[in-house]
Amino acid sequence: MAHVSMGEAHRRIADYLNRFADAVSYQDGASLKKLLSLSSNSSSLLSLADALAVFHDSNRLIKQSDKFSHLAEILLPLFRALHSYRIGNLVDSYQSYEKSANAFIQEFRNWDSAWALEALYVVAYEIRILAENADRELASNGKLPEKLKAAGSFLMKVFGVLAGKGAKRVGALYVTCQLFKIYFKLGTVHLCRSVIRSIETARIFDFEEFPKRDKVTYMYYTGRLEVFNENFPAADHKLSYALKHCNRQSEANIRMILKYLIPVKLSIGILPKDWFLEKYNLVEYRNVVQALKRGDLRLLRHALQEHEDRFLRSGVYLVLEKLELQVYQRLMKKIYIIQKQKDPNKAHQLKLEIIVKALKWLEMDMDLDEVECIVAILIYKNLVKGYFAHKSKVVVLSKQDPFPKLNGKPVNS
Amino acid sequence: MIMNQGGSTETMSAVNSSSLENWHVVNASQGQTSSYLPSTAGSEALSWTAPKVDNRFTENGIPSNLTYHYDHQHVQPPVSSSSSLGTVNAPQDHNGYASYNPSDPYGYGSTGYSGYYNGYQQQSNPSYSQPVGAYQNTGAPYQPLSSFQSTGYAGSANYSSTYYNPGDYQTAGGYPSSSYNNQTTPSSSYNNQTTSSSSYNNQTAQWNDANYANYTNSQQYAHYTSSATTVYSSGAVTATTPATTTTTPLNYQQQYKQWTDYYNQTEVTCAPGTENASVTGTSNFASSVPSVPSGYPTSNNLPPPPYAPSWRSESSSNEFPSVQSGAVVNGAKDGYWRHGAPTSQNYHTTPVQPQIQTPLDQNSYNSFQDQQNSSIPQGPNLQYPATHQVPPPVPSCPQGPNLHYPATYQAPPAPPTYQPSPRSVQSFETQRGSKLQIPTNPRIASNLTFGLPKTDKDSSTTTAAVAKPAYISVSLPKPNEKVPSSAGADSLLKPGMFPKSLRGYVERALARCKDDTQMAACQAVMKEMITKATADGTLYTRDWDVEPLFSLPNADVVKQDAQSLTPISSSTKLKRSPSRRTKSRWEPLPEEKPVEKPASINHGTSNYAGWVNERDRKTLMMNSGSKGENMTGTRYSSLEQKGANKFTQKPAKRQCLMDSFVAANNGDTSSDSDKEQSLTAYYAGAMALENSPEERKRRESRSKRFENGQRHGSETNHLKSKSVGSGNLYSRRATAMVLSKNFEDGGSKAVEDIDWDALTVKGTCQEIEKRYLRLTSAPDPATVRPEEVLEKALLMVQNSQKNYLYKCDQLKSIRQDLTVQRIRNHLTVKVYETHARLSLEVGDLPEYNQCQSQLKSLYAEGIEGCHMEFAAYNLLCVIMHSNNNRDLVSSMSRLSNEAKKDEAVQHALAVRGAVTSGNYVMFFRLYKTAPNLNTYLMDLYVEKMRFKAVSCMSRSYRPTLPVSYVAQVLGFTSVANEGSDEKESDGLEECIEWLKAHGACLVADNNGEMQLDTKSTSSSLYMPEPEDAVAHGDASLAVNDFLTRTSS
Repeated sequence: MAHVSMGEAHRRIADYLNRFADAVSYQDGASLKKLLSLSSNSSSLLSLADALAVFHDSNRLIKQSDKFSHLAEILLPLFRALHSYRIGNLVDSYQSYEKSANAFIQEFRNWDSAWALEALYVVAYEIRILAENADRELASNGKLPEKLKAAGSFLMKVFGVLAGKGAKRVGALYVTCQLFKIYFKLGTVHLCRSVIRSIETARIFDFEEFPKRDKVTYMYYTGRLEVFNENFPAADHKLSYALKHCNRQSEANIRMILKYLIPVKLSIGILPKDWFLEKYNLVEYRNVVQALKRGDLRLLRHALQEHEDRFLRSGVYLVLEKLELQVYQRLMKKIYIIQKQKDPNKAHQLKLEIIVKALKWLEMDMDLDEVECIVAILIYKNLVKGYFAHKSKVVVLSKQDPFPKLNGKPVNS
Repeated sequence: MIMNQGGSTETMSAVNSSSLENWHVVNASQGQTSSYLPSTAGSEALSWTAPKVDNRFTENGIPSNLTYHYDHQHVQPPVSSSSSLGTVNAPQDHNGYASYNPSDPYGYGSTGYSGYYNGYQQQSNPSYSQPVGAYQNTGAPYQPLSSFQSTGYAGSANYSSTYYNPGDYQTAGGYPSSSYNNQTTPSSSYNNQTTSSSSYNNQTAQWNDANYANYTNSQQYAHYTSSATTVYSSGAVTATTPATTTTTPLNYQQQYKQWTDYYNQTEVTCAPGTENASVTGTSNFASSVPSVPSGYPTSNNLPPPPYAPSWRSESSSNEFPSVQSGAVVNGAKDGYWRHGAPTSQNYHTTPVQPQIQTPLDQNSYNSFQDQQNSSIPQGPNLQYPATHQVPPPVPSCPQGPNLHYPATYQAPPAPPTYQPSPRSVQSFETQRGSKLQIPTNPRIASNLTFGLPKTDKDSSTTTAAVAKPAYISVSLPKPNEKVPSSAGADSLLKPGMFPKSLRGYVERALARCKDDTQMAACQAVMKEMITKATADGTLYTRDWDVEPLFSLPNADVVKQDAQSLTPISSSTKLKRSPSRRTKSRWEPLPEEKPVEKPASINHGTSNYAGWVNERDRKTLMMNSGSKGENMTGTRYSSLEQKGANKFTQKPAKRQCLMDSFVAANNGDTSSDSDKEQSLTAYYAGAMALENSPEERKRRESRSKRFENGQRHGSETNHLKSKSVGSGNLYSRRATAMVLSKNFEDGGSKAVEDIDWDALTVKGTCQEIEKRYLRLTSAPDPATVRPEEVLEKALLMVQNSQKNYLYKCDQLKSIRQDLTVQRIRNHLTVKVYETHARLSLEVGDLPEYNQCQSQLKSLYAEGIEGCHMEFAAYNLLCVIMHSNNNRDLVSSMSRLSNEAKKDEAVQHALAVRGAVTSGNYVMFFRLYKTAPNLNTYLMDLYVEKMRFKAVSCMSRSYRPTLPVSYVAQVLGFTSVANEGSDEKESDGLEECIEWLKAHGACLVADNNGEMQLDTKSTSSSLYMPEPEDAVAHGDASLAVNDFLTRTSS
């Protein structure tokens, strides 16, 4: 880096400028995107950054020639961003890049065709990545990390540019996904709503028309949102879509999807096979599934406790916790089956004491009132058919299908 | 330009006030006198507007002129009415609004703007139609105003609808539209304006006719407004102004709410229109106005002659008439006129828009004085009018609009009080002025927010300056008067019982009253109105903000006053008008004008508050000197001037306030009428608080704050010298001085660059008890308690036997003192913890949340406290109230392992488990064993939990369930056999009551024990409406309740 001669530096910069101008004039999006991809650390950009460190008068170079001067608004801050990036000044780098990106979308707006969509993707991506880096730097300096938020509003602007009738509209979903990533990272997921609404209701958008990769990402994030809302059927639909269309090769992505899809499926009564969990290395769910199968409340609680941090971070903790009711149901069903084997005639009358005793075996110390309450809830939520007779402390089960299966429907709430 | 603007505003105000009166009078048959006043007012307004228009035209050549025309019309009607009402009401309004204005002018304007704007148009579209076709359309915005009057007078319903018809505007535009179009075309503006104005006049005439028939002032007004709106953004403003004029009160309120909108809208169209309108109004009287002759005759109500002159001749010829009218108006209002006249004269001296300005100034001045006098708080409002005046000159400056806007905004708050009085008119005028300016400035929107604060200041300064001269001669007493009136309004209002808007309306109405008898009459009228409204159910549905004020019962007195005053004003006008004439309004204003204005302002200010003036001047200087710097409108020097004007205006407002204070303090009787004095006496009590030094200081500091923000630009020193010359009444205030110094030194500093350490206060107050007042300006060390005193204060609160509201108030003031001294230590934590606990105990969640968020950051700084306890509260809060799984998960994941071992946190986590699973047994067990104050938070969830539990039980149990069991499980009774029998049965009774209240079916079994019939209960359960529910969701915020509680 150190030894770049002035002439060499000048040559590199001029070369870059030429390529940039050519890409624009030939509407070569693929070449252009490489020139904008700051964080790719490509060798050509790195050498350009070195050249910029030596050759300080790039402004003049740009303004000198008519070929570049109309792109000066993009190029000047871009050079600054590159330089800052190279010397590790990430906040400045972000700020300059945002300026450049602003100028770029101004130009982009004027280009009739969507040839530069690829380049725009890179810009949107870079903005997010640079903002994340800048925030890290800000946070380490004890300052308020705000760049990602700024990137969010910038991308909203980009979204506005794309949300039109032309061919550019297919790019809107990519930007949306970048926005999702920002919002999820910032914890401001409520901001997703407006973008989702325009994607899902605006007539200009045909969801199927978007690139597949964006559709998968979109479905993944919206599915996660539905998990938070505990809207399991919708979450199931979206995450299943994402899973189905996800590239088979990208196992990391599949795993990310499954991380949410499995709890959703469990909640609607569908259990995964053990090998499946192992294949995708989701063993944290194994005990949960076991507990559901066996009606083992203790196991479930242990599993939740063991992976509490992980589940809390991914946000599925509450979903898994609600599986308790299904575990109770399973337990009661087991008791019912055993009773039935002993005395089929009295099997539908389940004494509360027996349930309490069963729970005690599981080291769950609960008294009659508590268990009674749980049974009442089970009946109320339609996990058990029948009624509870308070006087005799007996659960009277329906003779037909006393423990209805969920079969893809969520527990009544 | 400033002058011109100011003048126009004044006229507007005058017109408005007079319009109100006139309407009444005219209608009543006091025809001559009343007409006279209005006419005068109208003339003034005309002159005002005309100058404004001219300036704009010449300088900017902006289309906004058209708008002006509209405004004029509007103005005219208001003038008559407002004058009579104005004097009395203004004071009252002041009081009510006072608090309002001080802190929020900025925010107000900026925030409200866009929203209002939108709302406005939409609203206007819906209803309009009632009044004359064209009128109605235009009237849409107006109607609200008109509705006011009409309500007061005749059918208000229609009006209100008009209000909402933005669309109508356009439609109405039909007739106005032609004029509108003309106006819209920027270049054509002048001629077009005139034409438009003529058309306007015609319209007005129509209005008048219509009004006459129906008493339509309000309707007309409404039309006006609507027309303004139609004009649309530009027009709206004008419309508003006119509306204000006519229905001043209504306008005011509306403006109040919709200021921003109005401003924006009105800005463009209105400015020209307004002027014309006002002219027309005047023309009605004289019918001589050349520009709008046709219209005038038709309108007939107002004296066209003055109007016409002002328009055509613009400055000089107009000035005279306008001046005279202004004088008349003043007299009518109260003794104020005289003062006003002098002021106006001063204005004249100021080169810019001598005639117009003078009239306006006078009016505004008078109104200002009145307003100020009446209620110190209102003082700002009064200032607003002044601001208005400034705007006219401003037209050239792009910034000007902004400033005006703020001014207008301010005015709106004041208007409520003012509306009846000239003040409202003034505010309207200001608005117009701002509107006018806006047209010039394309940026308006952006500027508005930005500029609003500035404008306020400027406007205030200008007004102050203008007013001050007048003040010197007469004005001081006036403030006092006004204040009383406002207080009276408050008393009349019967706070708490009625909708806020109604209260505002009453205040406005009362503010018009000059004396007790009038007040009593007003009260009687309003009582009748309210009873009527209650009877037909419109009490809560009616838009009192736009309801036109009824005519003042005692218009005669006002008229007399006006007459007496008139001569003076006219003379002053004459003197000054020549100088003004030199500069034609139509021609672009030379830079000199701004300078001159500042000078005039300075003089005025010098008498009153030195520092404010200085600042204002500085701002002015800056604006004028560095035209392009601050303002968007670099193009035109005139624009710059406007900006300067705005700046000046804002200071003026402050000054006015200060003046009013001074007046109150000094008991100057300069021009106050006996009636006013009596009013003062009447309201002395109310006034006292406002006049207290503390209050003054606060207000000053507030105004300072605004000033500071405004004058970010470099400061030119032209004005400085003047400012220096002025004596600083308030210089003694250390804080103020420090602040001003700081500002001067770092005039161009951005907010971020301010050295907060240097501004951190070291308190010197030794009093342990201190009421909380939200700071809107830099704190005064004399009122801030140092740490050791705060410690005592905390102890005092902790040991106090008084109620929560008292403690909350005290704790808030402690918190405030801690904050301003930037004390963050164990004491701070203690204070917040104490407050958080107290608020939990009474279920004051908003307060608790404030404390909690502060505690969070305090704990994060490593300050020791009851961290765990509050972590548990926080968790419970999220569980119980946010109902947001994401929040819950994130706050759970933030708990450290150590925290999870804490008893309180564990309890909270267990409660969470019980809530998410719906385990009511667990919940109520935890309820009984809750540590710390967890119970109080759980309390807030008990009702929900019980209801859920009973619905669950009624579904799961068959056939019955003993109530005793329910009572035990749901926490009505303690676990069986533990408590005494008495307690047990009490709990059981309570449970039965609760079950019954929720629709449960209870049956007694053979043993006489109550059983829950689950099957029938499952279908009959319901959640009863909470008895103490209030519309805004927090019963503790109910005004009545709050007032009674704080007074205890």
